[in-house]
Amino acid sequence: MSLIIDVKQLSKHYGDKVALTGVEFSLEKGAPVALVGPNGAGKTTLFSLLCGYIRPSSGTINVLDHAPGSAALFGRLSALPQDAQLDPRFSIATQLNFYARLQGMSSKRAKHDTARVLEMVALSDASNSQPSELSHGMRKRATIAQALLGSPEIVMLDEATAGLDPANAKEIRAIVSEQACDVNFILSSHDLSELERLCDQVLYLEAGQLKQHKAANVNGNTRYITLRMKQDYPEIIATILQLQGVSQVTMTQDKEYLLTVINGQNKTSIEMDLLVLLQQNNWFYAQLINGKTLENQLF
Amino acid sequence: MIRLFKTKRGLLSLLAFATIWFIILYYFVSSAAGIVNSQSFERMAADLFGALGLSSLLQWPVAEYAIYWLVAVYFFPIFALSVCSDQICSDRQRGTLRFLTLRSTRTEIIFGRYLGQLFIVAVLILMTSVATAILASMRDLSLLPASLQLGAKLSFEVIIVVMPFIALMTLLNTWVHSARLAIVAAVLFFSLGPLVTAFINYQFGHEFYLNLLFPGEQIESILSQRGDVTSQYWLPLTQTLVLLFTSNLVMKRASL
Repeated sequence: MSLIIDVKQLSKHYGDKVALTGVEFSLEKGAPVALVGPNGAGKTTLFSLLCGYIRPSSGTINVLDHAPGSAALFGRLSALPQDAQLDPRFSIATQLNFYARLQGMSSKRAKHDTARVLEMVALSDASNSQPSELSHGMRKRATIAQALLGSPEIVMLDEATAGLDPANAKEIRAIVSEQACDVNFILSSHDLSELERLCDQVLYLEAGQLKQHKAANVNGNTRYITLRMKQDYPEIIATILQLQGVSQVTMTQDKEYLLTVINGQNKTSIEMDLLVLLQQNNWFYAQLINGKTLENQLF
Repeated sequence: MIRLFKTKRGLLSLLAFATIWFIILYYFVSSAAGIVNSQSFERMAADLFGALGLSSLLQWPVAEYAIYWLVAVYFFPIFALSVCSDQICSDRQRGTLRFLTLRSTRTEIIFGRYLGQLFIVAVLILMTSVATAILASMRDLSLLPASLQLGAKLSFEVIIVVMPFIALMTLLNTWVHSARLAIVAAVLFFSLGPLVTAFINYQFGHEFYLNLLFPGEQIESILSQRGDVTSQYWLPLTQTLVLLFTSNLVMKRASL
């Protein structure tokens, strides 16, 4: 597997304030990567460094074997920077067409590609509208469309679905899922369930430091099952603990339980046993998840 | 060009420009020939222009261009400061520059925006020059060849004059975050700059030629158009190159 991003000892200071310190990771081609962390953790700074918008205070970054901002990355790396807006004076089709031309497309191909990406984000009808005439969600989708122009190898989306209604957010997630085979997505979001659905790898930043860098739901000798119930059942923990192979049951939040399962013991039938148990007790479950939720992994 | 002709702000700027130049052409330039050629004013005009060192302008075959030159050589630099005040700063503030830098280098953006602005100003200069030629031809059609020749020469001279002014706004755009601030910075540069220069010269007791940093420094010496002045081209062209080179350096290191 070839590395698409290689970051070594990356630090960024704004005066006395440390935004990132000693960040080191490498990403390979593959499923989308989630960039997670609380507000002010340095997610947007890391995005900006990877895109070449800002320069690191120390450390090195290699994106597809080139320095960020290098002309060799034009058309290969695209991004949706947080809060970046299109020019309000021109129609979105005009601007996307211009960006496509800058990426080296012919006039005809640029026009065709603009229509393609606008259709992907369901904005074909608004192609001749100026951004100032569009709603916040539509403007966001237009900026996502610019990130999909051409055939980028890496697409970085910073808070792509923030401010979108559920239907449009779902549409964007579907686009990411569809394109994930050909494009390496790096997504930042506060919606952990969204990242959980889309991403296999997680970069967790906290106070400017990379706390975790691992593939989601890959554990050692134990595995986990997350069970969400529709109601509270007082005796559920004790009952589930009686199942063979379940070593621990903890309540992670209201009506949500994390089952620790020892690998090798009834490995294949534990879910079946659990469902039978629930049915015997007439307990209604809402969701059964193989592994920890991203929320439980990180916090 | 699209920003100038297809946006409301651009069209309003164009309308203001057209109105100002209509007044200049109609009231000053078109009456120039009458003033310069009339018996009663001839002596006074000769005295006045002679006192200013501009008597050679009176010998031009097309009198309209004498007034055009005097107005244009001061008007267009000031106009360039205003119309070129937003080369990249609003794009930067809005984040649009982030989309652009994923597709073109910062150097390309700086030089591209500069050349675009220069092209717009050059087109406007040529339009006013052609309008002056039309006015002169309406008075005397035989003046048309001389008008076109003189108009082309003066347009070229004015374009050379405005080049460092546009480059100065390019540099200021890499520092400030709005067009208004860029204009304020330019006003401070031209108002406080000479004071600072004079103070430095006075403090250290000899000339540092810091005045050469200011775009338009050569205007007074070329105003009379009596022949080639050494600084006529090299000074504005050098200033332009230095300002653009500095803009490029600042832009390359800037956070977007």
